[in-house]
Amino acid sequence: MKKFLQKIRFEEWKAWIYLAPAVALLLVFTVWPIINTLRMAFWEDYSIMKELGGTLGNEFGIKNFEKVIKYQGFIDCLKNTMLLTVLTVPISTILALVIAVCLNAIKPFQRFLQTIFFLPYVTNSIAIGMVFEAMFNIVGFGTNNPSFGIINNILGVFGADPINWINAGSGYWQNIAVLVIYIVWNALPFKILILLGGLQSVNKQYYDAAKIDSTPRLRVFTKITVPLLSPMIAYVVITGFIGGFKEYSSIVGIFGDDMQAVGGESLNTMVGYIYDALGNQEGRASAAALILFAIIFVVTMINMYVSKKKTHY
Amino acid sequence: MADKKIMTTMHEKDMQKVTVTQKITKVIVQFLLYAFLCTMALIIVFPFYWMIISSLKSTVEYRLPIPTLFPQEIMWGNYIEAFTAANLGKLFMNTVYVGVVSTILSLVITVLSAFAFARLEFKGKNALFAALLATMMIPGELFTITNYVTVTKFGWLDSYTVLIVPFLVSVFYIYLLRQNFLQIPNELYLAAKVDGTTDLKYLWKVMIPLSLPNLISITILKMMGAWNSYVWPRLVTSTDDYRLITNGLRDAFTDMSGQANIPVQMAAVTVVSIPLFLVFIFLRKYIMKGVSRSGIKG
Amino acid sequence: MKKRIISLLLVLSMIFIATAMVSCNGGEGAGEGNTGKVAYEVPAEGYDGSAVTITFYHSMGQKLQDVLNTYIPEFNKLYPNITVEHSSMGNYDGVRDQIKTALTAGNQPNIAYCYPDHVALYNVAKAVVPLDSFIESTIPVTDATGTESVLGFTAEQIADFIPGYYQEGAAFDEAGTMYTLPMSKSTEALYYNKTFFEKNGLSLPTTWEEMGKLCEQIKAIDPDCVPLGYDSEANWFITMCEQYGSDYTSLNEDEHFLFDNETNRGFVKTFREWYQKGYVTTEEIYGSYTSGLFTATEGQKCYMVIGSTGGASYQQPPQVDGNPLFETAMATPPQVNPAAPKVISQGPSVCIFKDTNPQEVVASWLFVKFLTTNVEFQASFSMASGYAPVIKSVQSNPVYQQWLDAANGYTNLTAMSVKLALAQSDAYFVSPAFNGSSEARDQVGTLMQDALVSTDADIDATIKKLFEKAVAECEYAAD
Repeated sequence: MKKFLQKIRFEEWKAWIYLAPAVALLLVFTVWPIINTLRMAFWEDYSIMKELGGTLGNEFGIKNFEKVIKYQGFIDCLKNTMLLTVLTVPISTILALVIAVCLNAIKPFQRFLQTIFFLPYVTNSIAIGMVFEAMFNIVGFGTNNPSFGIINNILGVFGADPINWINAGSGYWQNIAVLVIYIVWNALPFKILILLGGLQSVNKQYYDAAKIDSTPRLRVFTKITVPLLSPMIAYVVITGFIGGFKEYSSIVGIFGDDMQAVGGESLNTMVGYIYDALGNQEGRASAAALILFAIIFVVTMINMYVSKKKTHY
Repeated sequence: MADKKIMTTMHEKDMQKVTVTQKITKVIVQFLLYAFLCTMALIIVFPFYWMIISSLKSTVEYRLPIPTLFPQEIMWGNYIEAFTAANLGKLFMNTVYVGVVSTILSLVITVLSAFAFARLEFKGKNALFAALLATMMIPGELFTITNYVTVTKFGWLDSYTVLIVPFLVSVFYIYLLRQNFLQIPNELYLAAKVDGTTDLKYLWKVMIPLSLPNLISITILKMMGAWNSYVWPRLVTSTDDYRLITNGLRDAFTDMSGQANIPVQMAAVTVVSIPLFLVFIFLRKYIMKGVSRSGIKG
Repeated sequence: MKKRIISLLLVLSMIFIATAMVSCNGGEGAGEGNTGKVAYEVPAEGYDGSAVTITFYHSMGQKLQDVLNTYIPEFNKLYPNITVEHSSMGNYDGVRDQIKTALTAGNQPNIAYCYPDHVALYNVAKAVVPLDSFIESTIPVTDATGTESVLGFTAEQIADFIPGYYQEGAAFDEAGTMYTLPMSKSTEALYYNKTFFEKNGLSLPTTWEEMGKLCEQIKAIDPDCVPLGYDSEANWFITMCEQYGSDYTSLNEDEHFLFDNETNRGFVKTFREWYQKGYVTTEEIYGSYTSGLFTATEGQKCYMVIGSTGGASYQQPPQVDGNPLFETAMATPPQVNPAAPKVISQGPSVCIFKDTNPQEVVASWLFVKFLTTNVEFQASFSMASGYAPVIKSVQSNPVYQQWLDAANGYTNLTAMSVKLALAQSDAYFVSPAFNGSSEARDQVGTLMQDALVSTDADIDATIKKLFEKAVAECEYAAD
């Protein structure tokens, strides 16, 4: 018994040695910034410049949080973030699932097509944002002979009227539609990667069994593929939600630093608000970051709870 | 006996009938599959096409109100300018150096931590692991300012250290590898212990070979990280001695008003993307395996 | 229980470290002079010849860095012990962000490119050296060539600065403390298609009223065109405030944002009508640089652009079969009162940061003085950048004069734009710079865009709402 305890203690000691480098670095570069964030969030009207200039008051409280929550701009950011997440996560997951299943069902060119679908993994986000902008743009909007981007030209082939996607006076929902397309495009490779990997490790027996029973394809999909893939789907959805709440660069990529179309509603997101406030109001930025953290935390917990109930191993 | 034979023949006939209709459906389905996949592939590829043609346009053509789908006049000069204007050679070597060193160190730290989480028992293990995972949910932007102050106090500005050390630990990689280690049967470890094999030897001889695909994907992701990082190196370095490739891309082609010469920039982006594309095409298998394994027990 | 105590201890120790790390930033001896201006204690011995390294953050492209690199050795001939290091932060915002972060760690550069808004931000941290004490300093300085001079500016040197540019350095408080010196400047100009104007017998507009009529005329000649492109909405709004003499912002802390007033709502409404009639477009609304419309070879055109003199090369006429399509000419933009014209002043200034080593500050001052008063440097920099030099004597430099004389409306618009910028030098104005003034600039730009494109029936109510929203945003940001 004594020996056993000793062994446990030795193992514990060993574990901490193994963990030491990671823990030390995390303390300095992750834990300390978190503590500093708390300090800034609860220090009223905190700004680094004010602190340096010695004009910062000495009051602590939740005033930063109050100011953030009462600010209409922040509420709009929250709304946009939620909307984009709720729209893009299901769409990209379903699309990725369909593509993965299709890829898994073909033989010639499978590798080639796989490679293509993974390409967006290795791109420069600014360049691609500019491309999407050009695709939806209408140059010379509001004039007599504007030139339409490729998307409106394609719509024209099907006889549809050009849509003002992102230009001056464009509607909120058009803007959101473009963002959803861009975000989904961006999110696809990772999701396809994981779902396809999952599919390829699924035991072929299930499918053979279904073949013998000549089960319809759709039924195979809903009754076999989806349940077998459910752990991967859960993973993709959870990471998708976390990523969705941190959405920022896609909006900058298409709409620029203004985060809105000319004359349109603001499309700013939570992270966008944090960045703006980091300009000179680090206190509010920190408060907003904590709020964002709380939201992501709650949503992730809900996700995990649901996925535990719904995943089949 | 006879009954059984009749049943079999009936079944076979059924099967044949099914096979004919199945064949027709199969052809149609295959056609639809390819049509769908090719359409999606085109959508995915278009932005890359755009990047390449933009890199071959003149500034004037790039600014045309109606974008052209193919350059009117192919400007190979953009590529020459990209090479001469940005100190790409030096920046490339910096990036490789930072990428290699940080990958090696990161792998060591990740393997050790993942091993501790997967195989060793200690108090507060689960709490610590959960705390680590929770940090992944915090927007990283907020860390930048505090970390900058920290590294300045350490006197690390303008050095390779500052580019490597702050990002050595990735909770995500630890998580990924831990999942991998957990899949290796514990019996192997216990057996090794009975044989008197040390932990490190066991790690080296058993765990690492078994999780090689994952380690390779971590390597690739880490290298890609060095390749794509922008904000941090710009913040902590001020000379080309330590800057990384993306900094060169963004900074070298701006004029007085801070406006970028986009075609030349695109040319540089294209050049810089090529190694990544190659790595990706050749090591795709490992990336897929590694990332998808982490998903299995998501 | 033990675990809890340990984690509590951990948190406490982190907080302790936190406070320790935060509370180490020394200030500089700054006080108030008798004029109300903020003073800086210049070392009594001036520059003592000690070896110092000074850093300069800017946003210059390679071409301009080359110019700078040729002149640093010239400076070192005078002061061999001062090593100048410089690096580009890409663009103006990059410089600001970098310095802001660097300030938090006490690692700021000695000299930086700056816009007034940036300096207002750094001033919150009391990090910028007020320059009056240096400018007025009569401490003798002997350089390596043996030439004797004073540390400060001589009366001739101050008089040599173009007054509008020099004044910008004093826009930060009511006492007029100088915080920046101009480095290289631009302004807005009216570019027009001279060929088209001559062919149709059109005359140049000097007032906004004439501009409105002219647009109507041009629209009658070419119904498909948008006669006028205005590149910056924010500049437009701010310039109109100045021209009307109506309120925009003030340095008074209790009422920074004054732009919601009758006059301003009035001109916004007028310009909205212009937009709705197809007279005008802006860069944001058009979706691309309006120079693209101006230089278009086919399809829709515009015949006038109001844009930065720094971007003149983009307004050059396109070449068709080796011949320019038309001739571009430049003029002062329309005014409310042409007798007292007002044009906005843009382009980088330089400021100096406080440092624990006063010799670095003095050395920085010497370098800034060199950059802003050296005729050859200012001439070369202007020729390379297309921005105007900030001292008058550059214009009598023979090389520079030759360059200016080569200006033409076909292939060398850059020189022409510098000429115009110099000719307009009496008309420059600057807006007050305070912490929050950049927000005001952003907000009036957005307000202008939103109002122009609005198709609401009750436009007065919409404009009123837009103004109220802009003020509210400014106040939230400055609160």
